[in-house]
Order: sequence, then structure tokens, then C-alpha cells
Amino acid sequence: MVFGKRKKKPCFEGGGLVLFADVPDAMKAEKILKSAGYPVKLVAPPPHLRKGCDLALEINLVEQTGIERLLREGNAEYISVAPLRAGSSQLLEIVQVTDFGDWVMVKAGNMKLTFDKNSGVIINTSGGGCPDIPYLHAELIGKKLTEAPKPRDIGFTLCALMLDRAVEECLAIWEEKRG
Amino acid sequence: MLIAGTVPIKNLLLTWGEARLEGDSLAVNDHSIPCTQGTGAMISAALAVTKYLKLDPPQVLLCGDIGDGKGSRSIYEYLIQNLPQLSPQVLVLHYWLPDMALMRGLCESIEKCPQKPIMIADAASMYAAKACGLASKFDIFTPDSCEMAFLADPEATHPAYINRHLFDTDITQTPKLVATAYQLKSAAKLLLVKGAIDYVVKDGEVVETITEPNMPELEAIGGTGDTITGLVSAFAYAELELHEAAIIAAKSNRMAGKFAHATPATKVWQIIEQFPAVFGEYLCEWSGVCFIKAGRES
Repeated sequence: MVFGKRKKKPCFEGGGLVLFADVPDAMKAEKILKSAGYPVKLVAPPPHLRKGCDLALEINLVEQTGIERLLREGNAEYISVAPLRAGSSQLLEIVQVTDFGDWVMVKAGNMKLTFDKNSGVIINTSGGGCPDIPYLHAELIGKKLTEAPKPRDIGFTLCALMLDRAVEECLAIWEEKRG
Repeated sequence: MLIAGTVPIKNLLLTWGEARLEGDSLAVNDHSIPCTQGTGAMISAALAVTKYLKLDPPQVLLCGDIGDGKGSRSIYEYLIQNLPQLSPQVLVLHYWLPDMALMRGLCESIEKCPQKPIMIADAASMYAAKACGLASKFDIFTPDSCEMAFLADPEATHPAYINRHLFDTDITQTPKLVATAYQLKSAAKLLLVKGAIDYVVKDGEVVETITEPNMPELEAIGGTGDTITGLVSAFAYAELELHEAAIIAAKSNRMAGKFAHATPATKVWQIIEQFPAVFGEYLCEWSGVCFIKAGRES
């Protein structure tokens, strides 16, 4: 292995904000997230995102799923999570469904989940690019939709959140089919 | 060729070594790496090419990460510190937590390499490169149709937050998204857009589309996008022109799906194990890369 001289750490660029009603909530959230090792920064929210107090917490937006779970577990109050850039304020809600005969594939954003129509067993997941996706792939495949862990409960990233949407839609299709 | 990415093994520390196939498994040093969706599938596909063409196998830099980002940051930091000394011919970045500041640092480090590597990014490495405005520094991206819409959205830093009308776009509208992405400087020099129609795009111009064999089932199989990235990377390492590498990668992946009689329930290793047979039957015809066997050209 070749090791070079240690360089100065690059400045944090998160791309997302956690918004709060008051300053103590923001301080509490910062403490919780820093303790868990998340890179975060207290900042003033831009005018178009200002909802409560003048303090927000900048986060890596991709880590939204794990961060929101940690704040809930720590009973930290917050209003919402929003992307910093003005044009992209809504999470993608729409899904697309493909019927492969014995199998149905549901696509939510960049994630796809396919299940067996007869057994309700998850037979594949695909798409995405975040590090929890190969882990979720292993955790979900071979399990019944009704018994599989929820990606939002064990994943950390926006890819996991999209996969969770796909699971929810597959469950709805499966339950409708069963009447 | 250096491939960097995370693997879903929680306690795997930063690991550097030569990738090898042991039976049906992928191994690096003493570690067995699952040949499933993600970096494992990508490395396995690249290995199939290097083994067939009798090239040196890829060097890989891996770290365990199931989503909290700690392993991802270890890889970024190692590359930022060491890339100028390593100076690989081909650098392939794959699954990891997208971090804009660290990606910026990594690209600055690449500039210090004595010879700039061929830079290839897929998965969240591509998300990070686009989000921090450095996409055009890369030589190859391999997006699917949703990720193509992400590249064409000027505000998005992740495909979960793309504009709805871009997500709704039909695959035949990909050239419009491609044009927008190039205008925004959100695309690599070459794009291989994976989908019902595979588009190979060079400097903004569609140079080839691949539709045969028609294998819609591949979209459902986790890792079949990763195998395309592994294939194009290895063919680039074999010094094919980049657009040729992309065309052959797309054709090989489809044909391997056909050879495997793929259904949506097929696993990616079943596709990967078909690559030697696909190369044996088609690589010479597609690329002109033909082998000398027992002293005679085959």
C-alpha cells in the first residue's frame, strides 16, 4: 500500500436541510446526529425554506432516511427535511408497474422490486446506487412481501426510501389480488 | 484497472487487493465477496473479460458499508490521499454514499496523477459527480433511464428528487434528456444509457442504439446494470475505443441474458457465468478481438 501525506478535509456540502420550529430543537438534533457520526452543520435556512426558527441543520440529503429515523428514536422534534436547491422540493411519488406474467415489477424512482404473483415472495430488487441497496437486496429476496423488513426501517438513504415506496405499492397490488 | 466501491459486509475494513474468481465466488485477499447486486457483480463481470482476454485482473479497493456511510468515507479518503501515486490506467467508481465535498477532493487528486486515468462512474459515484458539477471530468457514465432523467435535472442531487415530468419520460425520449444533460454539463464524455433501448452517446451525439436480443426481464434482475459497467470498464482497459467498449458491453449483457434464459427471478451470477460463452461466440465478430489458440487464430 502507498500512503501519502494527509490533506486538509474538504468542507462539508450536504444538499439538504432539516427544518425546526425553534432553536433548542435544532441544537438537540445536532447533538444526536453528531453523536451518531453524521456530518452536519447548523446554518441559517434560505428564505424560501424558512418555516419556523432561523436555524436549520444542513445534512447530506442522501442520508435522509437514516437521519429521520435517528431523530424519531431520539424524540427530536423537527418540521421537515428539504433539499437546498429550490427546484427539487418534492420527493418522487409516482410508481410504474410492469406485468411479466408470473411476476410483477414495480418501479419507484430509481428502484425496482419484483415479486411472484402466486406466492407474494420478493424475487428480485434492482436499481439504485447507495451502499445500503446491496444489503437490502440480500435482506429482502426470498421473503414474503408481508414478512419482509421495511427498507425505511433498516436502510439509510434516499435509494432505500424509494425501495420502500416500491414495497408499499407491491403490498397494495398483492393485497388487492388476494381480495 | 482500479475498481473502488462498498460491499454489504458490515465489518469489512478497507481492503486492497487483486480480485479473483474462486469457483462461483469472488474473492479478494482472504475475503469472500457476494456476487450479487452492486460492486460484487460489477467486479465479477470485469473479471470475466480480463480472464477471457488474458489481461491482468482488476485491483479493487473495497470497504464494508450497509448504508451509514462510514465505509464509503474511508474509500474516498484513501483515494484522495493516494491516487496520484497509484495512477491507474482505468479508474472505476461504483456503489458508495454520494458525498459532494469528498468527490470534489477526489477529482482534485486525480488531476495530480502523472497520467489521467480513464474515469468511469456508475451508481452513487455518478450521482456525486453530477451533484457537485464535475460530471464532465468523467469519461464514461452508465445511467439507466431514471438516472438519465436525474442527469438532465439541473437541481437534483439524487434521483429521488427529480422533476416528475422527467421521470415520466418514455425511453424513446432519451435523446432529449441526453441533449439537456450535455447542455448542463451534467454528463460524462460518453454515456451508455441502459434500458429497453441502450443508447451509446459520444460527446452529446447518439452513435449507436442496441435493442437486440430483446430481454426486458434483465431490468428486474438486480446487478445487470452493474455487469454492464464492469464489462465496459474492462473493455476500455483492453484499449478498445470507448464507444466500441460500450457497444460490446451492451450487446454482451443482453446476449448473456438470452443464453441464461433469463426470467425476472434469475440471479445476476447466472448471467455472469454466461459471459465466457458469449465472448467465445461473438466477441471476435463484434470487436475484431480474436484469440490465438494453439498457435492458430480462432
